[in-house]
Amino acid sequence: MDLIEVSGLTKRYGGIVALSEAQFSAWAGEVHALVGENGAGKSTFIQILSGAVHPDEGKLQLEGQPYSPINPDAAQALGVAAVFQELSLIPDLAVEQNIWFRREPRTALLTVDGKALRRKTLELFDKYRFPPLDPARELRRLTLAERQLVEIAKGLAKDPRILILDEATSALPAKEAEWLLALTRQIAAEGRLVIFISHRMGEVRAIADRLTIFRNGSTVASHVATAVSDDEIVTQMIGRPLVRLYPERKATATERIALKVDDLRSGSRLTGASFELREGEVLGVGGLQGHGQRELFQSLFGASRATGSIELWGKPTQIANPRHALIGRDGIALVPEDRPGQGLLLTKSVRENLTLSVIRRFTDKGFLSRGREAALVKEMVDFLRIKAGTPEQLAGTLSGGNQQKVIFGKMLLTEARVLLLYDPTRGVDVGTKGEIFQLMRDLAARGYAILFYSSDLPELVHVPDRVLVLRSGRVAATLGAGRVSEEAILRAAVLDEAA
Amino acid sequence: MSSFLTRNRLILLAYLGMVVLLLVTALFSPGFLSESNLRSTLVLAAFVGIVALGQTFVIIGGGIDLSIPWVLNSAAILMTLLCAGQDLPLFWVAPLILVGGAAIGLINGVGVAIFGVPPIIMTLAANVILQGLILVYTGGSPTPSAPELIKFLSVGRLGPVPVILLIWAVLALVASLLLSKAAFGRHLYALGSSATVAEFSGVPTARTIILTYASSGLSAALAGMLLTGYSGQAYLGMGDSYLFTSIAAVAIGGASILGGSGHYLGSIAGALVLTILTGLLPALNLSSGALLVVYGAVILVTVSLGSETFASLWGLVFKNKKQKTEGD
Amino acid sequence: MSVSVAERPAETEPARHLAWRGWLLDRAPFLVACLMLLVVVAIYGALQKGVFTLDEINLDTAAAMTLILAATGQTIVLIRGGIDLSIGGVISLGTVIAATQFSDDPLTVVMWSALILAIGFAVGALNGLLISALKLQPFLVTLASWSILNGIAMLILPTDGGGVPGWWIGFSYNQILGLASPVWMLIGLIIFWYWFRATRLGITIQATGSNEKSAFLSGVSIARINVVTYGLSGLFAAAAALYLTTQTGAGSPTIGKDYILPSVAAAVIGGVSLFGGRGHLLGTVIGALILTLIGNLVFVLRVSSYWQPVMSGVILLVAVLASSLAEKTARGQEQ
Repeated sequence: MDLIEVSGLTKRYGGIVALSEAQFSAWAGEVHALVGENGAGKSTFIQILSGAVHPDEGKLQLEGQPYSPINPDAAQALGVAAVFQELSLIPDLAVEQNIWFRREPRTALLTVDGKALRRKTLELFDKYRFPPLDPARELRRLTLAERQLVEIAKGLAKDPRILILDEATSALPAKEAEWLLALTRQIAAEGRLVIFISHRMGEVRAIADRLTIFRNGSTVASHVATAVSDDEIVTQMIGRPLVRLYPERKATATERIALKVDDLRSGSRLTGASFELREGEVLGVGGLQGHGQRELFQSLFGASRATGSIELWGKPTQIANPRHALIGRDGIALVPEDRPGQGLLLTKSVRENLTLSVIRRFTDKGFLSRGREAALVKEMVDFLRIKAGTPEQLAGTLSGGNQQKVIFGKMLLTEARVLLLYDPTRGVDVGTKGEIFQLMRDLAARGYAILFYSSDLPELVHVPDRVLVLRSGRVAATLGAGRVSEEAILRAAVLDEAA
Repeated sequence: MSSFLTRNRLILLAYLGMVVLLLVTALFSPGFLSESNLRSTLVLAAFVGIVALGQTFVIIGGGIDLSIPWVLNSAAILMTLLCAGQDLPLFWVAPLILVGGAAIGLINGVGVAIFGVPPIIMTLAANVILQGLILVYTGGSPTPSAPELIKFLSVGRLGPVPVILLIWAVLALVASLLLSKAAFGRHLYALGSSATVAEFSGVPTARTIILTYASSGLSAALAGMLLTGYSGQAYLGMGDSYLFTSIAAVAIGGASILGGSGHYLGSIAGALVLTILTGLLPALNLSSGALLVVYGAVILVTVSLGSETFASLWGLVFKNKKQKTEGD
Repeated sequence: MSVSVAERPAETEPARHLAWRGWLLDRAPFLVACLMLLVVVAIYGALQKGVFTLDEINLDTAAAMTLILAATGQTIVLIRGGIDLSIGGVISLGTVIAATQFSDDPLTVVMWSALILAIGFAVGALNGLLISALKLQPFLVTLASWSILNGIAMLILPTDGGGVPGWWIGFSYNQILGLASPVWMLIGLIIFWYWFRATRLGITIQATGSNEKSAFLSGVSIARINVVTYGLSGLFAAAAALYLTTQTGAGSPTIGKDYILPSVAAAVIGGVSLFGGRGHLLGTVIGALILTLIGNLVFVLRVSSYWQPVMSGVILLVAVLASSLAEKTARGQEQ
């Protein structure tokens, strides 16, 4: 019998459908992988399973009984525990306090029994052969990988019947990742269900008994892992031939250097990056997450402090803050990663968002000219084909793709000709993705210089002219035309691990 | 125009509430609608309105100014002391005090914007420090009476119109222009909606924050000086009630206390509502204690109405409109 | 398809050898507060005879106790990541009720005391409920209830006055083993704290202040935590009010507001984070003692007593700046 069975599961956020009519079933004793692109609905799905999010419609059954946990507590009481990426940990508590949070052993005085807590923690570590971890350390002193181990320990401590692992290996170094995969098999062999999400096909291949494929907020198919090829999986994840997504790549780069960066350092992640970006060029930035990409983009935009030299159009420049970066034609503009947090005022209109960075362009002696503002807005709405009822529509009610277009429009209005695009297609529908790539090539042809980071490897292979691969905060390789492939990028990104 | 109405529903509600309140008050005390009584109500509302001006800016920008009581009180005391009842010194004393009020606000703003001190702590500390310093300076003794010129400005009339209403009207016009027609307004609303998005869009966030607190210090100082004209002299504690009234006026006026929305036109309605309430309570034989209860309740009720929880209720009431915007 | 994203920090073990520095930085505000207390005591001792006696300890603790009680509640709320301005109203209301209702009959006193404590808890719980149910900012809700409670206090007793029984006023002079009752209260309070912070409730409050979202995802009911946290704050404010009447012997509808800022100041000086998750009552007690002794210094130096609030405001700002600086340095190290 199925341990868990789901049908017709739907969840909407405002106008955006995160999950629609999802089907799923899995039985005890298997490792069941969920695969799909970013934004395909996997995370919404597991958030519903773990009780953190309530579905709008749909039927869930656990061992044949209706299952609708009102919160994570209720889900855990029924034996469903999720290991999210560093989400449920408390920075100011110790490792052991985090693992047993709210389920601590207690003394007769109702206080937490420190000795028992330590003993149970060490037993847990022992039972699952955890990599070394100090139970008494405060969580905020741990590295990302160590925190991930704590998160896993916290999930295991609940002794769940269904264990959900969300990208649990992504933060782990190779050895620990291998340990986790072996552990996953062991847990399934004990007769429990492991729902396993990973972007690494190799891992899915290594441990999954079955897999369910997500696409555009829906489930498209379930397979026994041995009965399906990689190609079939990828085709079903993408749902259509990929060819048309990427525009034709014409070399438009000139000899003129738009941006020259030398030994740029910021925080502990960016440790000395040097490169040149030419007029008319789209330069990709790749590498494993957390190797300085975010710091690079934020430092260039003046959003985080950095040392090193930056030349814009041949002139040495100090960029103290974003206002300083957005100085006009010789400036530098950023489409940031966090759309609601950094890019868009959700409760303000499309018009107010579009013109926010260029208020100077339509003010006379401090007073706004609504006519000139309207002209600028119309120019961008038409140019980017932003689908909004009127410019007065609130930005928060637009679809993800149109929201991203508004941010592009805001930055284009500044007329800065060096554009920093940080993962601009994340959570954007396929149609708009194609439009964004075409726009990038068009802008390059008009003399813009574009630095483009993507968490999506194929995009890096197909869109930019060259690709920089960052490793440990430095440029590990520059892959020119003809040498860019997914393998080449990955090899450069992990070379030190292979060595 | 219709879009202005839907977007500023809360401001309209505030004016509607004011009219209803006025009619209710007229029922309880028939003399309330007399010309002289209306005039004195407007004059009292002007003080609240002037104080609320700076508070409106600060709250739209996502902050709060709790230093108003003693900025106001300090301005009043220093002005009467320095002028010693004479008109002539006023010409250098008044500008000096306005600059001083703005400077206190500036310090608040720098603490909040540059050093990251939470606004509540920064302004509460400024309030206490000012209170102590003024008490040390005066030793708690009473001050000379207000100069005649100040009395003219706060209670005098030009024909049938009280002078202070003219002052208030000019300030209201300036504030409204700044909010609706100037780059400052755009920066302020963006800042209050999301400081990070504003920063990433090149908005001068630190400067805007500092300006809001400076304007709050300025308006509190101005109100303090004018208030001495109304009461004849400065006294200790004269600013205390303006802490609650300034915040309540802004809240009634429909500004989201989380920042990013609201307008001074709403705060004007708020000031009028509060002043009418103040006038109503003695008619009902209620004391100043009851007034404090009412202020607190008004703040609580109005911010609740603007809260997220109620927003979803509003969504149900205005369902048609909401669907229209989302359907695009 | 998407990229495989093997996240690996650039440095594997960046912070381990700096562990003791981190430990020190965490406790820096508390250690600075201890140092500050020593300095203040030294100055006070140099200017005044008989400072280093048991009597002086009894007197100073008695003087600081109202603030310590108020600041205990505030500390709990700050660790939760909130702030409670309504303690001003609770304290005023408490003294007013006590001064108008207490009679010579001990039973009446006990009954009304219990009622005052209950009111304090109920008011705080209501604050917590409104904050969670309406998703409002804590300072706004507690600002409003401060106004309301203050108003009610003025309705009960428009000006300072009323009275309490003589034996009630004598409370802080009672001595056991040479220590006055406030000292014993303080000892009890600290024992309570060590117990409380080790209970699940105490840990959950700290966790919620440290990261509300993580706590929620771990199954914490934020509404329940808010009700308890602000309820406790109200309870301690009511206790502060009762104690205050043993010192003043009367009720005052306006006295409460004098404790709002100092309660926050005592906690922050003692190293309680304004952003939640971190803090200890010992620090708050030291903060409260510093603020009280500064009052003594002002008296000994024969300058205007109005300097005291000025000093507490300045010290608060210095403490806030120092802690935000320490926090920035610590965060820089952890990245």
